[in-house]
Amino acid sequence: MANECPLLQLKNISKVFPGNNKVLEDISLTVNKGEVVSVIGPSGSGKSTLLRCATMLTDITGGEIIYGGKCAVKADKGKITYASKTEMKEICKTFGLVFQNFNLFPHYSVLKNVSEPLIVNCKVPKAEAEKKAREILARLGLENREYAYPCELSGGQQQRVSIARALALEPDVLFFDEPTSALDPELTVEVLKVIKQLAAEKMTMIIVTHEMEFAKEVSDRIVFIEHGVIVEDGTPDELFATNNERIREFIGKLGGKK
Amino acid sequence: MMMFMQLAQGMIVTVEIFLLTLLFSLPLGLLVAFGRMSKIKPLQWLVKIYMAIMRGTPLMLQLIVVYFAPYYVFGVSISGGYRFVAVIIAFSINYAAYFAEIFRAGIESIPIGQYDAAKVLGYTRVSTFMHIIFPQVIKRIIPPVTNETITLVKDTSLAFVIAVAEMFTIAKQISAKQASVTALMVAGLFYFVFNYVVAYIMERIEKKLSYYR
Repeated sequence: MANECPLLQLKNISKVFPGNNKVLEDISLTVNKGEVVSVIGPSGSGKSTLLRCATMLTDITGGEIIYGGKCAVKADKGKITYASKTEMKEICKTFGLVFQNFNLFPHYSVLKNVSEPLIVNCKVPKAEAEKKAREILARLGLENREYAYPCELSGGQQQRVSIARALALEPDVLFFDEPTSALDPELTVEVLKVIKQLAAEKMTMIIVTHEMEFAKEVSDRIVFIEHGVIVEDGTPDELFATNNERIREFIGKLGGKK
Repeated sequence: MMMFMQLAQGMIVTVEIFLLTLLFSLPLGLLVAFGRMSKIKPLQWLVKIYMAIMRGTPLMLQLIVVYFAPYYVFGVSISGGYRFVAVIIAFSINYAAYFAEIFRAGIESIPIGQYDAAKVLGYTRVSTFMHIIFPQVIKRIIPPVTNETITLVKDTSLAFVIAVAEMFTIAKQISAKQASVTALMVAGLFYFVFNYVVAYIMERIEKKLSYYR
């Protein structure tokens, strides 16, 4: 039974910023184990807010977020209830987030960026945490940069370190918030390669992206969001063959082939 | 020779005032900065009033107030030993107000993304501050803290106003007795060398922290 539980369920999520600025409206999304879901849509459509809500960096104003069958947060008419502190701690361990602008810790070396959260927050012994960090860094092609500092790395390398940092905590589901938007085309390829590699390893991922070709290739499902609502949710083939004029126009503009 | 012995005695007091003030005002300044940034409005106002007074009135006057307050306000008689304590209290609460603003500027300059990343990685609010934010704040605030520290070295001479025998007080006495400015010049040289050392140490710390941007 536990295995059949979806990893993540968003139920009727809404987010209204002060000044009655509705950013998300009635968003429902279910993600099962091993699925890769891409979220696409024009700028300002609420994609990033959706990720921030799902990772609880931003309070929702309505709806419910359920991780592995456990309710993490519920909001109704501005009243928000989080799970208990201990439950929250468990729930937060089940997801990781990779940011658009990496948000690495500049005062830590690459190795420490990846190992320190394990040591501080999961009470893993230092030697063990560093061993694990080294393995993950090697998997992402960063084995020679362990002692470098983030400022000494290229953008692509920084983003790979931040993916390694998220992976070290062994999340069940990994969120990506436009992971390549801050990178030039060459470095983009290098990061996308890593994400594809993770997809091949059956990592559950939710990816906000503008890379249409990549989304088509890597995703099991693509969700198109505009003005805070889900316009379409389907397989890449379905989405790229949609009759919805707006989606066709959007995909066409971004150079995605039909 | 006598003059140097006396000045050396004063030097010790000057260095004591300097070190003790730093020891108390830096942590106090951090606390004040937290109060200043607090979401609790009354606390924020209280801290703002405190800072307005500390920064808006002469330190010399504050020294006098702290020294005489126990007698005039509480009717407690002042013992001679309280002079030095009063100096430390007045300097500490005064400098804490300045350090608080430096800490606040440093804390607020850390990108919000650092907090987001820490939260997602499971850091608590306290451990986020201790492990992620504060180390970066220290690096950023070294130049303004150096400024304040250098000012503090020179401000120690204000202790003369409540007759604490720090170096400047003694230098003035000697100079008046001998009708010569030699003692004052020696004192000036001492402040200069002291500050040179302070600036050098701070520069070394800054260099040590320059391994990242």
